[in-house]
Amino acid sequence: MSYDSALPETKPNDNEENAESNSALTNHIEVIQESLLGTGELLESEISDSSQQEQASVVSEDDKEKEKSSQEVKDDNELDVSEIKLNPNIQVKITTEEGRLLLILPTESQIPSTEANWYEIWQQMRLRLLAGDRFWQANSIVHLHAGDRLLDGRQMQEISEALTEAQLQLKSVATSRRQTAITAVTAGYSVEQISKEKSLFTPINPPKPLEDALYLELTIRSGIEIRHPGTVIIFGDVNPGGTVIADGDILIWGRLRGIAHAGAGGNQRCLIMALQMEPTQLRIADSVARAPEKSPSQLYPEVASITPQGIRIAKAVDFARPKI
Amino acid sequence: MTRIIVITSGKGGVGKTTTSANLGMALAKMGRQVALIDADFGLRNLDLLLGLENRIVYTAVEVLSRECRLEQALVKDKRQPNLVLLPAAQNRTKESVTPDQMKLLVNALAQKYQYVVIDSPAGIENGFKNAIAPAKEALIVTTPEISAVRDADRVVGLLEAAGVKKMHLIINRLKPAMVRANDMMSVQDVQELLAVPLIGVIPDDEKVIVSTNKGEPLVLSDTVSLASMAFDNIARRLEGETVDFLDLDTPNDNIFSRLRKLLWTKII
Repeated sequence: MSYDSALPETKPNDNEENAESNSALTNHIEVIQESLLGTGELLESEISDSSQQEQASVVSEDDKEKEKSSQEVKDDNELDVSEIKLNPNIQVKITTEEGRLLLILPTESQIPSTEANWYEIWQQMRLRLLAGDRFWQANSIVHLHAGDRLLDGRQMQEISEALTEAQLQLKSVATSRRQTAITAVTAGYSVEQISKEKSLFTPINPPKPLEDALYLELTIRSGIEIRHPGTVIIFGDVNPGGTVIADGDILIWGRLRGIAHAGAGGNQRCLIMALQMEPTQLRIADSVARAPEKSPSQLYPEVASITPQGIRIAKAVDFARPKI
Repeated sequence: MTRIIVITSGKGGVGKTTTSANLGMALAKMGRQVALIDADFGLRNLDLLLGLENRIVYTAVEVLSRECRLEQALVKDKRQPNLVLLPAAQNRTKESVTPDQMKLLVNALAQKYQYVVIDSPAGIENGFKNAIAPAKEALIVTTPEISAVRDADRVVGLLEAAGVKKMHLIINRLKPAMVRANDMMSVQDVQELLAVPLIGVIPDDEKVIVSTNKGEPLVLSDTVSLASMAFDNIARRLEGETVDFLDLDTPNDNIFSRLRKLLWTKII
């Protein structure tokens, strides 16, 4: 049977190999069982190059950075690049902790402070604010966790404007940078000084428990990338060119037409679920699969998981959890 | 309250400038005071489409550097007194203007005009950021091609992030015959992907090229074409009227079927 025709039926091989549970395998995807690590290394070296270039601007921007020996800074960055690969948690986060609404910015070791990066961070923040408004009520108070990020008056104001637009109020700023603290005080926010060590990137070598699920109510459009060290739930579509990368499962209450990467931390038991599964590419842990050339004529909720044959898609109603 | 509308697309060559010129003209025809801003610094075209190229003395850059007053730089349209154009500088690049300066210009124009229409450059770099900075609403222009729709999708995301929430979609250069033959994305296909309310569909029309070359916006020509009707309808919908979408499926048939009918009747 050709790959293209294999949409609603099952490939006979599959039937034989795990016949006991495989009534669920109705859809079938061509699998490129190539390890992500190969391409990952290539990317990494590119990234480390560019980060060294940016290095110059970081150093010149901030006097304090000069005190560090350049060697040390360089080492830091090289280390970070590899850690960024492992830990997808480098995006702006909005979470509640002990009843407090926190806006957490990436630290400078995760995303160096350049004007272009600030624009990126600002955009991420706006998107998160747009997408999660059912988690807070109007006029809630927000605590900004800036970590070691250097914020100037304009950036502080942009944050405050974005929050005001989402009907949130910036109240306090937690920072380990003296200059950021001064900016915050000048702008009239209460400041909490945190020690530098706390904000530093802690190595994640021992596996950490996943973070709380990220719930987003928005369309992931081309060019938007959502990364989260936990499960991601999206109420909306993922359009072609959009990417969702999660350490846990990915649930899409809408159409999945972009790229979804579940279990990015390496967990092979993670699942990708969508009401309409027409992905550009599916990835679970280090497996990659692309959709068949011909899109299925009928679309129903489906679940993708790793089977001994690679990533397979099953009808959601037939999907039996114990199988994996 | 002045409507500040940016016309943008992401991809180049889909008809942003043509749409800006015709829409501006259609709104002006309806008696609105319209200011068109060419935000495509370094690659300006809007003046050509309006046939105003030889009237430009000052540009936005001179206004910003205070070499002239804003009123001096505005080019009044030769046919339509309600329309003015603020031309872009051709000898500069997109970096010569900042988003804040664009806001300044637009706010000054908003005092006097009911519509400020900003023609955005292609791409999503500085020029795009400049164009969307002052905008309150956006018209996304796309053609029914996968690349244009993909770029439009990206732009919608960027506009959302930038806080421009009121967006409408214009599908340009639709070829009904190709859609019928299943060779082109249909309006529904595009709409389903972008999830942005549709405000107009403009059929592919060779007259557009002629009008562009002559510097005479299509909506001003005496012969009525489907494309000019579509632009007029978009202007009316912007004004809040409910106008039925043109039935693009029949016209092609109509010419033939009418002809056939005509012949048929004569024969009998």
